[in-house]
Amino acid sequence: MELLPVLVLNGLVWGLIVALIALGLSIIFGLLDFVNVAHGDFFMVGAVLAWVLIDRTGNFWIAFAIVPAIGLVAGAAIERGVLKPVENDASLSIVASFGLSLILQEGVRATYGATPKRILDPIGVTFPVFGLEYEYYRLFAAGVSLVAMAAFFLFLHRTKFGTWMRAVRQDREIAIAMGVPSDRIFMVTFGLGTAMAMLGGVVAAPLTSVEFRLGLDVLPLCFIAVIIGGLGNLPGTAAAAVLLSVMEGAITAVAEPTTARIISLVLMSVVLLVRPRGLFTRLAT
Amino acid sequence: MRLLALAACALAAPLVLVDYQLVFAAEILVWGLFALSFGLVYGFGGMLSFAQALYFGMGCYGFNLATYKYALDTWGAIGTGVAAACLFAIPTGYIATRVRRHHFLIVTVILSVLTSAMLASGHWRWIAGPYVTRSLPFVPELALGPWRFSFSSEVFSFYFTTAAVAGAVWFAWRLVSSPFGRALAAIRDNEARAELVGLNVNLLRWMMFTFAAGIAGLAGTLYVLLARYTNIEFFDWTYSGKAVVAAILGGASSLAGPFAGMAFYMVTTEHLSRHMEQVSIAFGLLLLLVVRFAPEGLYVACARRLREIFRK
Repeated sequence: MELLPVLVLNGLVWGLIVALIALGLSIIFGLLDFVNVAHGDFFMVGAVLAWVLIDRTGNFWIAFAIVPAIGLVAGAAIERGVLKPVENDASLSIVASFGLSLILQEGVRATYGATPKRILDPIGVTFPVFGLEYEYYRLFAAGVSLVAMAAFFLFLHRTKFGTWMRAVRQDREIAIAMGVPSDRIFMVTFGLGTAMAMLGGVVAAPLTSVEFRLGLDVLPLCFIAVIIGGLGNLPGTAAAAVLLSVMEGAITAVAEPTTARIISLVLMSVVLLVRPRGLFTRLAT
Repeated sequence: MRLLALAACALAAPLVLVDYQLVFAAEILVWGLFALSFGLVYGFGGMLSFAQALYFGMGCYGFNLATYKYALDTWGAIGTGVAAACLFAIPTGYIATRVRRHHFLIVTVILSVLTSAMLASGHWRWIAGPYVTRSLPFVPELALGPWRFSFSSEVFSFYFTTAAVAGAVWFAWRLVSSPFGRALAAIRDNEARAELVGLNVNLLRWMMFTFAAGIAGLAGTLYVLLARYTNIEFFDWTYSGKAVVAAILGGASSLAGPFAGMAFYMVTTEHLSRHMEQVSIAFGLLLLLVVRFAPEGLYVACARRLREIFRK
């Protein structure tokens, strides 16, 4: 019980990272209109690339700078090469993303290996809080997620490209008729979503063990956040991710972690049946 | 005519194949049946489900529970497995089929994750018996009239599996060619119109989901009979991926497609895994190509092509 404040704090940090990843899933869903089953694996690839770059260069900050850029480019290329040809059929797009997921997981297992690896805390300084030594890095990770999300919302609401993205989401055909370059927007959106997942991967890598199955744990979490927040409702998704994670942290103080997970899964089922559009309908942009 | 030829092939198979190949052929049929249950839900019902593994696992655990706890014979255990899958599909299917498209996919994934988490947490051991992973401590036997057959015989295992799978396929065929199946196809193709002509969309989807779950459950019990082994892994949604890959490769909206896809999948995996470890990468790539160039499935595309050639 005395661990409660720390567990809630941990939940908040992890929740912000999950919010970033779920936001990526949500923008891809909102614009391209399909659920990207490979999203968790992009997160995993981000963490693995971070491990590889740190292994080669010995510096976390190089990985931190490069990996999201790789995500942006790779995501855009994947959208053009793989998803564009099947964009009119949502089911086929999902199946294609499942194929991607297989390729990413097995590709990482073939090259990086199946054993989980750890990354050292890149800051390595702690401060006392609630009677425990708490890593500054966790606060940094939470801060990065917050800044990235804030930057994305600024981009969405303050730039011409962001306005185009919102226009395509609202009414694709009218937007195209008005001359919005929808092809380019789809490409950039998928790139941005992927970059968010990979940034999440880099930031989360020192907090967890890095292995090829990492995405399989994160994807259901993002799914729950997306359902509770409302599919395609961006601020709602982020809020739900943070809320869920804090709640799970608090429950973990008194019960087992699986109990906490089961409670959030049940919560999701209830939300789905009672309010299928999500809890935060007022936050919808 | 074609059916007779298939039956003759099945009867003659033990003359040609050696024991381990027979068991492998039976396993292909079992996993093909699993893929068919996905095909029924997706290809005929338009619901992209990642929950089929849940019902396969329920079939396995139902079989386990019946033999471990209630000491039922093999017939009773098979019945329990199928019933467990169907009973579990009734509430879960109700939740899932109330929502559409993307929500449906997400709900099926979450249902699988939820069930795996519950089983793994250890509070629900009564379902699994004392073990999460269990190898049957005995060789199952089957009473057929006055005779008793043991599954230690590969030939009998093969014949029994083939007969059971054939029965299930016949059932699936009756299902999709019945007015019920037609109504479901109408819903898949245009839900708004189907609702306008007075079909109860949610109920029909729910029924199909439950039937398909029963078929997945049957595949689960047949798998236990063959491999004498159950694992909590069977509940995982990534296990459904096997059915998704095979059914889509073969063609999800035909009855033979999932079997053809699964045979292709398993034979290639068996042969390639000797040379390269990560066969799944190849299947991921193949899946992307099929989705791009032959979305109706390789088997269906090939069959149509052959028919065109013969007509000329």
